Amino acid sequence: MTPLLSFQNVSKRYPDGGREILVLDRISLEIDAGVSVGVYGKRRSGKSTLLRLAAGLALPDAGTICFEGRDIARMSGSDRSRLLRSEVAFMSAADWNANPGETVVDHVATSLGSEGLTIREARRRAMQVLDQVEIGAAGAQELTKALSLTERVRAMLARALAREPRLLVLDEPALFPSLQERDAFHALLRSLAQERNMALLVASEEMRALQGFGMLASLADGELVSTEARATVVPLPGRRRAAAERSGQ
Amino acid sequence: MVSTNPEKTRWMRGPSTPLRGALLGLLLERPGHGGDLANRLAARLGETWRVDTNDVYRLLEQLEKTGLAVSRDEPKRNNRRRTHLVYYPTDETSEALTLWMETLLPREPVRLGLQAKLSVAREQDAQRLLLALKAYERECLLLAQLVSPTDGRGRSWTALCLESTRDAVYAQLQTEIDWATRTRSRINEFLERDRNR
Repeated sequence: MTPLLSFQNVSKRYPDGGREILVLDRISLEIDAGVSVGVYGKRRSGKSTLLRLAAGLALPDAGTICFEGRDIARMSGSDRSRLLRSEVAFMSAADWNANPGETVVDHVATSLGSEGLTIREARRRAMQVLDQVEIGAAGAQELTKALSLTERVRAMLARALAREPRLLVLDEPALFPSLQERDAFHALLRSLAQERNMALLVASEEMRALQGFGMLASLADGELVSTEARATVVPLPGRRRAAAERSGQ
Repeated sequence: MVSTNPEKTRWMRGPSTPLRGALLGLLLERPGHGGDLANRLAARLGETWRVDTNDVYRLLEQLEKTGLAVSRDEPKRNNRRRTHLVYYPTDETSEALTLWMETLLPREPVRLGLQAKLSVAREQDAQRLLLALKAYERECLLLAQLVSPTDGRGRSWTALCLESTRDAVYAQLQTEIDWATRTRSRINEFLERDRNR
């Protein structure tokens, strides 16, 4: 089965003054549809770079990243943005960027602008997804500036889910005012991903934020260690075919 | 890869394996009598290990029985008329230490075992340590994966206790992973410096 997203020997470097820093060093990782993957790492461990590559916001310097077997780097710019806009949602809790004067429902509905929907239909879909993230009808009519920290994160989640992505990439779930709110958000995220058969790729500096995930990985010095051997070792195509033949597939 | 003949790993059984392994490393550095080795062991492993001199004598006897150490009666330095047993490595000690470095440790004392390995590791053990640290990281991630999640909505006393226990588990595993990644990083930096030298 072709994985939804695969990294094969992916490396990424960033310039730092006169030298280059190797942020990711030959990372291999496969994410199947509906699977949740949590990446734990300290600050500056390369988590955000990994997530930006997964969301197609950056391209690797070496190695390949494929979405359903298609190499993202070989796509034209418009094909890549079309694919990523419809299939992948990227959410970073630090990137709250709402017009303070608009309502929550409009904030979510405007993210559907390029879908060819009428504003009425976009609002209807926004209301549905706001209900799923437990922001009720009353909350949907609030101005975004009136949202609490927890509601803001839920509104961001609604905006990310509105396009019905198959992969949600989430960088550092926000700091919640209470431990209970934090755990409730994570439980909601897991249950929504399960209902929608949506894959999750979440990075955090806190192990607790990755509770209940199907696969866990740690990232440090550009190296990824994960709970599944295939996340670090991807068999060569010949070997994979031989293994499939052996198992009678 | 060294041989994995079960006879050669028999000495690695039991809870004192990390101390036995560390003693092999110390013997290879230089021979010593029981008290000297107990002091060196305590200095190397730190205060969190309770190193009992009598235990060290017992462990050295065990190592001698398995052919990994040999003792000789030698005069004491400060009183030549009295003697004490000085322990030396044998031809098999170095191979046994290498094998221990390569051996995956059982779940419970794994951190202590790794700590003991680090305390006496030789430069040639760097790659073995890196592999052991990665295996340990993976083990911690697997343990975190096994913890069943909470929904954060528990209001009862039992739910509070359960959630607090989970917090402790996650905090502990996070600390362990941080330690393992930091140690890997240090070893890699050392190897990099070594290559550039």
